[in-house]
Amino acid sequence: MVDTQAITDNERWAGVYKLLDRNSLIHPEFEPQEEIKEFIQSCKILVIGAGGLGCEILKNLALSGFCDIHVIDMDTIDVSNLNRQFLFRRADVGKPKAVTAAAFINKRVQGVTVTPHYCKIQDKDEDFYSEFALVICGLDSIEARRWMNATLVGMRDEDNPDSLKPLIDGGTEGFKGQARVILPGITSCYECSMDMLSKPTGFPLCTIANTPRLPEHCIEWAHILEWPNVHGERKMDTDDPKDIQWLYETALARAKQYNIQGVTYSLTQGVVKNIIPAIAATNAIIAASCCNEALKIATTCAKNLNNYMMYSGNDSVYTYTFEHQRKDDCPVCSTSATKLDFKSDKTLEELMDYLKEKPDVQLKKPSFALGGKPLYMQAPKQLEEAMRPNLQKPLGELFSSGDELTITDSTLPFSLQVIVTFI
Amino acid sequence: MDAKTQKYDRQLRLWGSGGQQALESAHILLINASAVGCEILKNLVLPGIGQFTVIDQGAVTQSDIGSNFFLDADSLGKSRAERATELLGELNEDVSGHWVAKDILSALTENPSFLSQFSTVIATDITRQVAEKVSSLCWNNQQAIPFVWVKTVGLLGTARVALPEHVIVETHPDNVADIRIDTPFPELSNYAKSFDFNTQDTLEFGHIPYVAILLKYMDEWKQEHDGKIPGTYAEKNQLKANIRSGMRSGDDENFDEAINSVLRSCQPTVVPSTVKAIFSDPKCETLTAESSNFWILARAVRDFVNDHGKSGGLLPLSGTIPDMKAQTDSYVTLQSIYKTKAKQDVQEVSKLVDTVLESLGLAPGSIASEEIETFCKYSAFLKVIRYRSLEDEYTQPKTKQIASWLSEEDSVFAQYVLLRASDSFFDDHGRYPGEGDDWEEDVDHLHANVATLLQSWGIDTEVISKDQTHEICRFGRGAIHNIASFMGGVVSQEVIKLITHQYIPMDNTFIFDGARSVSAVFAV
Repeated sequence: MVDTQAITDNERWAGVYKLLDRNSLIHPEFEPQEEIKEFIQSCKILVIGAGGLGCEILKNLALSGFCDIHVIDMDTIDVSNLNRQFLFRRADVGKPKAVTAAAFINKRVQGVTVTPHYCKIQDKDEDFYSEFALVICGLDSIEARRWMNATLVGMRDEDNPDSLKPLIDGGTEGFKGQARVILPGITSCYECSMDMLSKPTGFPLCTIANTPRLPEHCIEWAHILEWPNVHGERKMDTDDPKDIQWLYETALARAKQYNIQGVTYSLTQGVVKNIIPAIAATNAIIAASCCNEALKIATTCAKNLNNYMMYSGNDSVYTYTFEHQRKDDCPVCSTSATKLDFKSDKTLEELMDYLKEKPDVQLKKPSFALGGKPLYMQAPKQLEEAMRPNLQKPLGELFSSGDELTITDSTLPFSLQVIVTFI
Repeated sequence: MDAKTQKYDRQLRLWGSGGQQALESAHILLINASAVGCEILKNLVLPGIGQFTVIDQGAVTQSDIGSNFFLDADSLGKSRAERATELLGELNEDVSGHWVAKDILSALTENPSFLSQFSTVIATDITRQVAEKVSSLCWNNQQAIPFVWVKTVGLLGTARVALPEHVIVETHPDNVADIRIDTPFPELSNYAKSFDFNTQDTLEFGHIPYVAILLKYMDEWKQEHDGKIPGTYAEKNQLKANIRSGMRSGDDENFDEAINSVLRSCQPTVVPSTVKAIFSDPKCETLTAESSNFWILARAVRDFVNDHGKSGGLLPLSGTIPDMKAQTDSYVTLQSIYKTKAKQDVQEVSKLVDTVLESLGLAPGSIASEEIETFCKYSAFLKVIRYRSLEDEYTQPKTKQIASWLSEEDSVFAQYVLLRASDSFFDDHGRYPGEGDDWEEDVDHLHANVATLLQSWGIDTEVISKDQTHEICRFGRGAIHNIASFMGGVVSQEVIKLITHQYIPMDNTFIFDGARSVSAVFAV
């Protein structure tokens, strides 16, 4: 039985303390102070996600000396997580990630307390988020990142320094990844870089229905067209192996009909679940990068990343560090409206579809209002039904050129101000 | 799906069952259960390497548990090798872990061929002398063993890979499509001609595959230009305009696809210079019964290319074409035309492989047909990396290249110099700069080591400032977990590439500067 009193911080954190106790001529503005060590121990840090990146982030923060860490994750553990989410074992499959991860870290690292929250990020409010000094995201969805970004940016009050919550965001895919530091209201935010995202691959419906050529087309046919035919109202459960098996067999039959090779169970799963390949190594690199920034921000022992580092590992090892610029008309972090040119004879529905597709907007279910007056609302039901005819009206009938529309979307805690000029 | 396939699904999508088998046959040696060493192993155990061995004579200290996730409070005072092996082993029940509580030099003294059992050696927390000795043993082993030397010093991390030669067939290039618009083979030309460009059926017209469209207009161009394909930018634009004039409506996607492919199609299909270099390599020219499959296959493909009657002077057809707007049966037919030709090329190459094998006194058919097929498919992207040994790095420095690297603004290479100087400091003082409390006193000494090194290369000693030297002393060779974890990710990934022979490893020194969040690779 080890005498835990014998473990001293000075010995345990020797590596980090060398940075904190010693001045630097490269970073002359850094002043060694005991308060910094106290700050690391006492501050609250929030980790979003307890998956591939999250497990790494929790480990890294705990071994950097942070003692009060919270983690949010709404998922439970799956077998396919075990090749990289190292805080989980086979016996943990089915359990909540946040809870399991927290328990592991608490047991392994002396003196740290990881508090789990088994829920969605949207289930927490601004009061919750304002308790933290720093937020580190290891998310796997654009939607969640946008929400978190908009929330933290929205919370920032220039007159209150405590309201500035640095957001460190990491993402990975196969051998690629990126880490970025967002200082809300100061640096470019997540929304500013929406146009950098590559368009998600989808196949045209006519190809899927009439002229399949690739095994993927056959799979999407089974998924989108044949399933409702056969199963009616019942929605597919992509986590149910039986449903995937049905899809695979159905896709295979269609492929045989058209002489198309290549439909496999693995491809079927990959297509319908939009599976992204993932390995421990890439997650380790990006998570470590994020936590390295967290330590620098929390201690000022060196300058933090300003503000984006991209990484690619399939050909040699390559990183590219640059400062992403703020977007002047960013709907989240700037106050100016976005400008848009559109034909006045196009309908409101066409404008809506355009905004859904546009890479730097990507709304899911937008609602439109003009100066407080609603033009089309997705909810509540009665209002939606009453306003639905507006969708087919040409824009020229609904408002004038140069008017400013307010567009909202249930997935986003911010509104988009758009000035439409008719062309 | 069996349990293992389920578990490894996300990684199998990157390196397939072939790569996974290679990993599961590997036995990795980690010298010293340092923080970075254990992080490297974590990322190798999780994806399922066959075995690992940790050799470390040390006992677990407090600073160990503060930087190493695989040593905990219960481990204090115990064998580092033993405890790290236990905690790492928990990560994956399919992996076997072993430990040796010894110093690597003692182990080698007791058993000079200790390293031969391993397929990769990863060394951490060792001195330069030990690195040179171990890397030399790995290099000269009957079957050369990849050696990786990893260091973390404060916010810096570095990794050096050394092995005589690494060959890659499955480089996973972004695009393997091999369409041959400039040099269509007869079956392709004939099929393309079968499409009716005068059809009044709009659906049919709109689904003529772009390959057929390109071939038609390219053919017309060649007839008007002495058999030549467009060469200048203006000519390529003219071809685009010609194609555009054939469109019937603004929506003809297939014509758009053809126009978008003009630039690429006007790049003549040739044997890339990298592949030509492989063909003229002595190991391709002079084969023995000990030659690896890679070189035997390279020779066979070279012989195929040189037989213009069979190959037209080109590499085997890859057989892959991109998706395109087309009716199902035209696409499937087109696809099978390419696949059939690719298969024919593989058959020709296979005959040549057998000829080569026989000439070496080896059994024909002893290289699996899948291997020949894969080699042919990726023949345009083959890669051979010849690393420089540590011995060459130290005794034959690339002074011109080094001067060039150091002349860049904010050069990352400066850290290489500082870390090399730190090794010299160790030779002088038996410890590393900044390790003790009087850390600033080491600055002058270390800076003198830096100056000596630069002078030996004939480089102006001003290129490294004393501030930079001061920073190394500030780091005091401290182990910082984030940096250990970052390097753990990078090195494990490189080791996976080396074991699976897939994707392209870095050559040969990687440096991460965590203070500036930048990195670079140098072939020192």
